[in-house]
Order: sequence, then structure tokens, then C-alpha cells
Amino acid sequence: MQKFSFNRRLVIIIVCLIVSFALMTVSVAIRNKKSTPPLIQQFGNDIVGLTDRVVAVPANGLSGSVGAVSELLNTYQENQQLKQQVSELAQTKVRDQTLAKENKQLKQEIKLNDSLTDYTAISSAVITRTPSSWQNQVIINKGSSAGVVKNMPVMSGSGLVGRVAEVNKTNSKVELITDNNDSANRFAVQITTKSGKTVNGVLSGYNNTTGQITMNNITTKAKISKGDKVVTSGLGGVTPKGLYVGKVAKASGDDYGLSTKLNINPATDLSDLNIVTVAVTKQ
Amino acid sequence: MYRLSKLRFGFPIILFLMLLLDGSISQNFSAHMFHYPTAMVSHLVVLWLVCGVLFEADANDFEMPIGRWAIVAGIVFDLYYTGIFGIYIFIFPLLVYLTRLLVSYIRPNFLSGLLIYFIDITVLEALGYLAGRAIHLSSMSGTDFMVNTLGPTLAFNLAMFVVLFFPIRWVYNWLK
Repeated sequence: MQKFSFNRRLVIIIVCLIVSFALMTVSVAIRNKKSTPPLIQQFGNDIVGLTDRVVAVPANGLSGSVGAVSELLNTYQENQQLKQQVSELAQTKVRDQTLAKENKQLKQEIKLNDSLTDYTAISSAVITRTPSSWQNQVIINKGSSAGVVKNMPVMSGSGLVGRVAEVNKTNSKVELITDNNDSANRFAVQITTKSGKTVNGVLSGYNNTTGQITMNNITTKAKISKGDKVVTSGLGGVTPKGLYVGKVAKASGDDYGLSTKLNINPATDLSDLNIVTVAVTKQ
Repeated sequence: MYRLSKLRFGFPIILFLMLLLDGSISQNFSAHMFHYPTAMVSHLVVLWLVCGVLFEADANDFEMPIGRWAIVAGIVFDLYYTGIFGIYIFIFPLLVYLTRLLVSYIRPNFLSGLLIYFIDITVLEALGYLAGRAIHLSSMSGTDFMVNTLGPTLAFNLAMFVVLFFPIRWVYNWLK
């Protein structure tokens, strides 16, 4: 009798393991291939997402007000510094507007409707974050009904933070570039060096210990110096051109000495996201 | 009697509240909890399940369908949080089973509960890590996992156990 029950338990464990692996494989395959998850999953996620807002909105509001109090303490100093920057910014902004206008006119002149740099922004709030140490994933409150499509890049503050991994009707999951899984952070990026040369490359990972993004497979001999700005190149897929990624922190040879490997300091604080912007390109 | 008590509705409602709170805590304290390279993961939902088993063993004739609710919580966790189906749907009920097994050996009180919860969180994180490795969600090495994830997560969750054990017991007795 004892033996029988032991065997039965073993069978249950093995069956559970097999079913678990089958389910995982199927869902990974669906995640990689399909643009949206199955309808039933979308439906469930939408319902949970709506319920979650009941919990998340007060929680986020509370933390927001606590944060506001602590920020109040160094407001004065910050104000002084920001005032200086604002006066410089006004100048840049006016020039930017003039250039954008001129650009638009020139595009009309040559009948070029949309180039790689054009995108519209959908801003959305972060509802919650996956409680997991390797899936750096946040859930935002806009989905396919607002025009979000899988693989669109997501920005926060001044820079790129991730890409849309799963789209439901009213919410979607965003994989941050700090996520180190196989498909998370492969963005085509480029650097314009001080001498005016353009260097193309692909983001290839995130270094946990230094908090820097790595960019690999650069075979050019152009000299890249510390502080060069890295932006998306708009090549391949739905990412528009010119989204700011970060600044070059260090250039070194890669593990095999064949190409250059760059460490990039990300432009935004990736561990503290509240409002994000999804960049929508017209296709 | 479980069928007649307020726990029949109270248990699942608080279970889902805990599940959603996990995400909210991770979001609001993300700057502290996911301060690279270390990661503390909040598992309040497991705390509620484990406490359910502990208090169920305290009261003699009181069987609750905790295992079934653990499966439901696992499904929601998988679909809503991770998007990968088939990991926590098995781990959560396994933890309930494991806790019941341990409770049958050790009489549950605050301290032995802490030990049981320690084992549960270790199993949870280890199995989650193995599954993550198997489907290439993470590429962390085993030692990195132990130092950067398991350690801080255990510390955080044991602290939560210490803080929340008596409030949860109060809620539980109130609902019963």
C-alpha cells in the first residue's frame, strides 16, 4: 500500500512537470510569434487589470504624496539650478521649433510624407510591476484599444526604457531594457561621433552590477569617445529614429577582441517609472 | 464550519488583494527593491496562503480549499504578471502541499511558522529560477541568484512575516 501511494505521487509529480513545461513552451512560443495573446488570456488580463486599478490607484497615490513631501525638502535648491537650465532651454526650444517647421516645409517640398523620425506619442500610467527578479516588466494602462501594438518602443522622461511585450485590450506589458532575456532589449541604435561619423550597432544586454546597457558588434574604426549620445537608428521594425537611449560611458574591446563593445549609461532611472510614453510610428 | 464562515468569501478576496498588492509594492518601492544588482521580491500572496494553512491547523475541524485557491492565484499570477503560463500555477499549490506536510510534523506557532515560511520562500524562488532558466527568461548564474535574489528576497519576506503574522491572525480569527 505504501509503495503504491509513493508511485502515485511520483506519477503526479512527473505529469505536473511535463504539463508545466508544455504550457511554458506554448506560452513562450505564442509570446514570440503572435502579436497578441489568445483572446481568453486577453480577457482575463483585462479583468484583472481593471480590478488592479482599484488597488493600484490608491497605492500609487499614497506613494506619490509621500514622495511629494520628501521632494519638498530640496525644492529650493533644485529650483535655483533649474532656473538656469530653463533660460538655456528656451533658446534651444525656439530653435527646435524653427527647425521642425523648416523640416516640415522641406519634406512637403520633396513630397516625403513620413520619414523614420516621425512618431506620435501615447502617454500612459504604470499600473503595476511584475514581482519577479528577472522579469523586469511593468504593466501600463493603455492597450490595443488605444493603438498600442506589440514591439513598440516605450520611453520615460528623456529616454528609451523598453518595448511592448504583450498587448491586451486595456493594458499591456512592457519589457524594460534592464530585462536580460533573449528577446528583450535588441534595439538598433546609432552614435554620431564627434568627428561626424555615424556608427550603427545593436543593444545587446544589460549589466546588472554597473547598471549600464551594453552595445555590441561595432566593427567600425571610428573613434567613439565617452559622452557621445546614443539614439535609436530606426532600422528594422517599428522603432522610430532618434529616441534617446543614453550616453557612452566606456568603450572597450569585446570578449574576443574582434569588435568594440560599448557601455552606455541609460538616460532615465529605470527602476522608478510612473508615467511612460509609447512611441507609435505610422506604417 | 468553513461553509458558513465569513472566510468563504474573505479568504479569496484577501488572497487577490495580496496578489495585487505584491505588484503595487514592487512598483512603488521599485527604486529600493530592484536596486541593481540585488532584487527583493515581495510574496505577500504566499504569506497569506501559508498563514491560511498554519491557522487552519490551529483550529481542528476546519478544512479550507486553500490548494484550489492557490491554483487560481497561480493562474492569475502567470497570466497577469509574467505572461508565461505554467510556472506559478504549479508552484503555489505545491507550497500549500509542502506547508501542510511540514505542519503535520511541527506544531505551528510563530517561530515554527517563520521556519516553514523560510523553506517555502526558498522553494518558491528556487523553482521560479529553474523555470526561468529553462525557458531563457533569465541568464543569471546560480551563485548570482543566491546572493542577489534569494538572500534579499528571504530577508524581505521574513520581515514581512514577522510584521504581518499577528495582524493576519487577527483578520483570520475575525473572519472565522
